[in-house]
Amino acid sequence: MSDLPRRAAAILWKDILSETRTRQGFTAMLSFAALVLFMFSFAIGVDNDLLGRLAGGLLWVAIVFTGTLSLGRTFQNEELAGGTRLLRLYPGDVRAIYLGKLAGNLVVLAALEVVLFPAAAILYQVDFTAQAGPLLLVAVLGTFGFSVIGTFFSALTVHLRARELLLPLLLFPALVPVVLGSVGATEAFLAGDPLGRAGGWLRLLASYDVILFVVCLWVFPVVLEE
Amino acid sequence: MSLAVAAEGVTRRFGRRWALRGVDLAVPRGAVVALLGANGTGKTTLLRLISTLLKPTAGRLEVLGHTLPAGGDEIRTGTAFMTAGGHAYEELTGVENLRFAARMSGTAATDDDLRDALAAADLGGAADLPVRGWSTGMRKRLELARLRLRPLQLVLLDEPFVSLDEDGVGLVHDAVRGWRDAGAAVIIASHRVEDATRHADDIVRLAGGRVADVTA
Repeated sequence: MSDLPRRAAAILWKDILSETRTRQGFTAMLSFAALVLFMFSFAIGVDNDLLGRLAGGLLWVAIVFTGTLSLGRTFQNEELAGGTRLLRLYPGDVRAIYLGKLAGNLVVLAALEVVLFPAAAILYQVDFTAQAGPLLLVAVLGTFGFSVIGTFFSALTVHLRARELLLPLLLFPALVPVVLGSVGATEAFLAGDPLGRAGGWLRLLASYDVILFVVCLWVFPVVLEE
Repeated sequence: MSLAVAAEGVTRRFGRRWALRGVDLAVPRGAVVALLGANGTGKTTLLRLISTLLKPTAGRLEVLGHTLPAGGDEIRTGTAFMTAGGHAYEELTGVENLRFAARMSGTAATDDDLRDALAAADLGGAADLPVRGWSTGMRKRLELARLRLRPLQLVLLDEPFVSLDEDGVGLVHDAVRGWRDAGAAVIIASHRVEDATRHADDIVRLAGGRVADVTA
């Protein structure tokens, strides 16, 4: 295995191992996500038609809120272990740190969505299975875009005192195209895409993902400098 | 003899505070240098500059034949830095921490190699226990085991004797002798003058971010 994937895989392995040993973070995330879904359900009331029409938006807002909690912890375990910057003492491209952390966030968010999609289907009485393939593509693109920029901002804010406040403040505006694209495509597919709008949303998502990934990967080494 | 570290007028500023002002330093390969000085005199900053964690604000710093900021990757390949606070993941066991370090540094180490390194640091019995329950001294020994996983040309030790018992201090001395005999340069920053200077070829005292004196 070449240097970059090998070192990224080492970071992913270490983070997954740490997470599976504690499970505190993931359990708390799941509980929070369930609460968010319930709160939306309570706020909208018993109007099943309205819940069904809003399901895509509510689901993605729940993913973004809950995922932000997870992103905040991305580099905190490094700080507890002595400092994120100490990872720079290892030889090799520091972008491996970004790729490893990004992969870890993707795994955590994918695990979260495996629970959230069925939970939202039950609570909001929508059928995701009818458009399972297209919706999976939306989930992949949306989750990737969210993780790409979230991992980057998590590294950027890890040494700041008000990081818990600053992370969402920086993240949410940058996430607007990801959320718009994900919600638009999800709602279009759930409605059977009668106007053929889903393709446009998917193109927006894919383009933004590629641009974000290239920019974040390129700039990341500067973020870890002191 | 070629130099592992050559610093000329190295200066580092953090905001409005000057941590180092015009430091000159020459560390030959195979030499042990003790870096002494009161708190806040710039010992750790100098080690962090040499390790490539920091960039000098001004001056020329050459490490293992590369003038910074060039050659950072080559420098990190031949250099190890034991920080005062250590670097260990709480939820991982001793073996897993070393495995991670080996993978990150591209060292081909078998499970037996990792366990041997832990046993050499008197941590054989704790190899499969999470670091979470370890004492500070055990974590320091883990750092020592991590440094001994791969061949090195330059070793930077920041307060390596703190929190260690007598046997642990002996392990550090053994390691320093081993690195020196293998031709690596060792820089030890410490307040424990007797231990830091035991194997030292040169003693460098810092004061106010400057080199106050050098004793051969």
